[in-house]
Amino acid sequence: MLVTRLKEKDTVAALITGKAFIVNCHGCKEAGFPEKEASEFQKELSSEGKVTGILTTEYICNPENLRLHLNLHSKEIDEADCVLVFSCGVGVQTVSDHLEDKRVYAACDTYAVPGGQGVTPLEHDCRQCGQCYLNLTGGICPITACSKSLINGQCGGAKDGKCEVDPNMECGWERIQRRLAMVGRLDVLKSPVRIRDYGNEVKASE
Amino acid sequence: MLNYTKYRLKSAEELLPFLDSTDNIFVLACNKCFKEFESVDEPDCGEFVKLLEEQGKNVTGSARVDFLCNKAQTLKGLEIPEGTDSVFVVSCGLGVQTIADSVSIPVFAAADSLNFRGHHGMALTNKACDACAQCYLNITGGICPVVDCAKSLLNGQCGGAKDGKCEVDPTRDCAWEKIEQRLAKQGRLREFLDQPVQVRDYSRVNYKAISEFVKAARESRLDGYYGGVHPSERKELSENAALVRFPEPDTVVIPLSMHSGAPAKPLVNAGDEVKVGQKIGEAAAFISGNVHSSVSGTVIAVEPRPHPTRGGGVLSVVIKNDKKNELADTVRPYGDIETLTPEQIVDIVRESGIVGMGGAGFPTSVKLAPNKPIDAVILNGCECEPMLTADHRVLLEYADDVIYGLQAMMKAVSAPRGIIAIEDNKPDAIELLQARTEDIDGIEVAGVRTKYPQGAEKMLIKRILGRQVPSGGLPADVGAVVCNVSTSKAIADAIRTGMPLVERVVTVTGEKIKNPGNFIVKIGTPVRELIDYCGGITGDDVTLKTGGPMMGIELTDTDVPVIKATNGIIAVDKDHFETVACIKCGRCVDVCPMELKPLYFAKYHDEGNWKGMLDLNVRDCIECRSCEYICSSKIPLVAKIRAGKSAIMEMNKK
Repeated sequence: MLVTRLKEKDTVAALITGKAFIVNCHGCKEAGFPEKEASEFQKELSSEGKVTGILTTEYICNPENLRLHLNLHSKEIDEADCVLVFSCGVGVQTVSDHLEDKRVYAACDTYAVPGGQGVTPLEHDCRQCGQCYLNLTGGICPITACSKSLINGQCGGAKDGKCEVDPNMECGWERIQRRLAMVGRLDVLKSPVRIRDYGNEVKASE
Repeated sequence: MLNYTKYRLKSAEELLPFLDSTDNIFVLACNKCFKEFESVDEPDCGEFVKLLEEQGKNVTGSARVDFLCNKAQTLKGLEIPEGTDSVFVVSCGLGVQTIADSVSIPVFAAADSLNFRGHHGMALTNKACDACAQCYLNITGGICPVVDCAKSLLNGQCGGAKDGKCEVDPTRDCAWEKIEQRLAKQGRLREFLDQPVQVRDYSRVNYKAISEFVKAARESRLDGYYGGVHPSERKELSENAALVRFPEPDTVVIPLSMHSGAPAKPLVNAGDEVKVGQKIGEAAAFISGNVHSSVSGTVIAVEPRPHPTRGGGVLSVVIKNDKKNELADTVRPYGDIETLTPEQIVDIVRESGIVGMGGAGFPTSVKLAPNKPIDAVILNGCECEPMLTADHRVLLEYADDVIYGLQAMMKAVSAPRGIIAIEDNKPDAIELLQARTEDIDGIEVAGVRTKYPQGAEKMLIKRILGRQVPSGGLPADVGAVVCNVSTSKAIADAIRTGMPLVERVVTVTGEKIKNPGNFIVKIGTPVRELIDYCGGITGDDVTLKTGGPMMGIELTDTDVPVIKATNGIIAVDKDHFETVACIKCGRCVDVCPMELKPLYFAKYHDEGNWKGMLDLNVRDCIECRSCEYICSSKIPLVAKIRAGKSAIMEMNKK
């Protein structure tokens, strides 16, 4: 699941030469979209006469429905020198694919949040490493719970249970140790050293 | 359809060592997501159970779950048998971690998550986003260098591509070659070459910000009750428009069915003279409602007329308004709460034809005569429907009447407690009601965080009282009565002036209405007159609804009357969507406030599997449309659910 934040207004305003057509995607609004900020910014642009039209819709990552909506606004798009998309990176790419001749700009930056499958956002994260280590760590993921993604134990830098990279974060390996002690499985820590094989991630077939 | 299948079973070789220390194993498998939705079982669970049996292990049980990472839903139905000493989870890493967090015995992963480069959107396409927090698409012509270039180069090609193909993976196109072509096409090559060197700032993704965001998002998802959504409110169009009395209509059409239950029996004939407040229709059953004239004048006809929510042909009384507003002699004050008995209050409510004015039209007198003890009356001032502001204006302009009506209801059901619930998007109403109830014992104002469908009575009871109305049950089962604020005002009017329910507040709004506003409208006034009075509809491609954008019903004909439950008329931009196949994203399950699984209702509807719908408690659905609103495939879920409910009713009759 992806959440978006508005880019700096000056950065976006500088992209607009002439007039812009605006696309807003509210599809993942429940997860996170700067609805208020975007609408205020668009009002400013409109009052400066820089906007030919605004399309607010959902799930522009869906190419069929996006096409349907863009076609309804083709005149406004023709009049514009560029298209400003307020969505995640997937949405911007889908719009630029459809409007290949047009300058299509992203007005937002995209951030990943944990979860994203079935329920979102979620406390847990999975980076799909394709070599699940959870069997050796009591079900706490060393790739995502340790800031350094260490897979063979703590780095030694934690202070009072907090990570040295980010003191807001708990040390993932301390959590793993506690969990294993709780379920009586400290013995798995004695398993052989593991190596993360980046070349052998289980690739999903497309 | 691209299949983002999430996991693949680990090899037996890798799994065997973990079986050494455990003999009694429970297997929990996720049905996978982001894929074509089939109701056949995924094979992985069966394969793993077979492996365990071959190893002589005792499988204490197994379960296949949809959206295993949806903790609230998964744990609700999960029972791990006594004597189990470990759980093996067949899912992606999210599911394993969710279970490991929730049980006290060892949890193991039986599968590896499949790897995709980047994050996908809500449609199953090849487009992906790495969520780098520093979008480069503005300088690359909309082609992502982070995901599409094998090396994620930001400043141009590596030089290793051969014939346009990547040197890392010859099946891939060189992303930078595609970027170059796109920019050339748009005449932007010079612009690109003049760009400064780009450096990726990995610190843009900050643990603290993300973890705080997730915490807040989870809290809001479970705040008060499970699920719910936050549609754009768009109340600013009309929320500051003070109530205006709508001009007298020339003719009113008053349907004899404006409530749930049996239609009223007509008491007048064509040619009869009627007065304001005169009873013209008599409740025909326990669940039914009296109907009164909203004008004085002559009955022109008693005949079937188009109805705003039930389509054509509902028996209605058509009255030519003489605009003299002569009152019926039955309209006289009944007295005061102090002197009236609870039974008398219920009688007044019944006699005055008062029904739920929030949309459902359930007879209020029936609510006020429960056969169970009631300890709290909740006044519903949430108005969680986007765009509508009728209840908001009633709260602001008739606060004392609303409180009076609440006191009457509390007396009627002998409830010591009255709670006025108002969403926090109406701070002025919360403040006003708090001030007006300060010195009244037993009445409190609860400001609740805005979330749709807060105003659904089961959600409100859970939020305010923390009580769960049982499946198929009523609020009275948990000692509560929930009533809309406009209904409360109608009760106050009836007691104090004797005027039955003959007018109501209606919001006329939407981006396609020229001058939105809130009006006091006589029941039976044609919707067309309201729209014309507001300056008419601007532009074409308009959807017209009675009610709000979420639960409102589309109007194809404006020659229908305002009825007791008409809280709004909206004219909005028409939605243009094509329904595509379900991709099993799980968002509908995530937002359903009744904790149901709407995706199965669509599936079972298409298969005609009514029994399946019944088993998944389709009858608990409150038709709030949250699932349809969030659906990324735009499946008309509520229509399918309604069809299922009626098919089940037919099935049960046999």
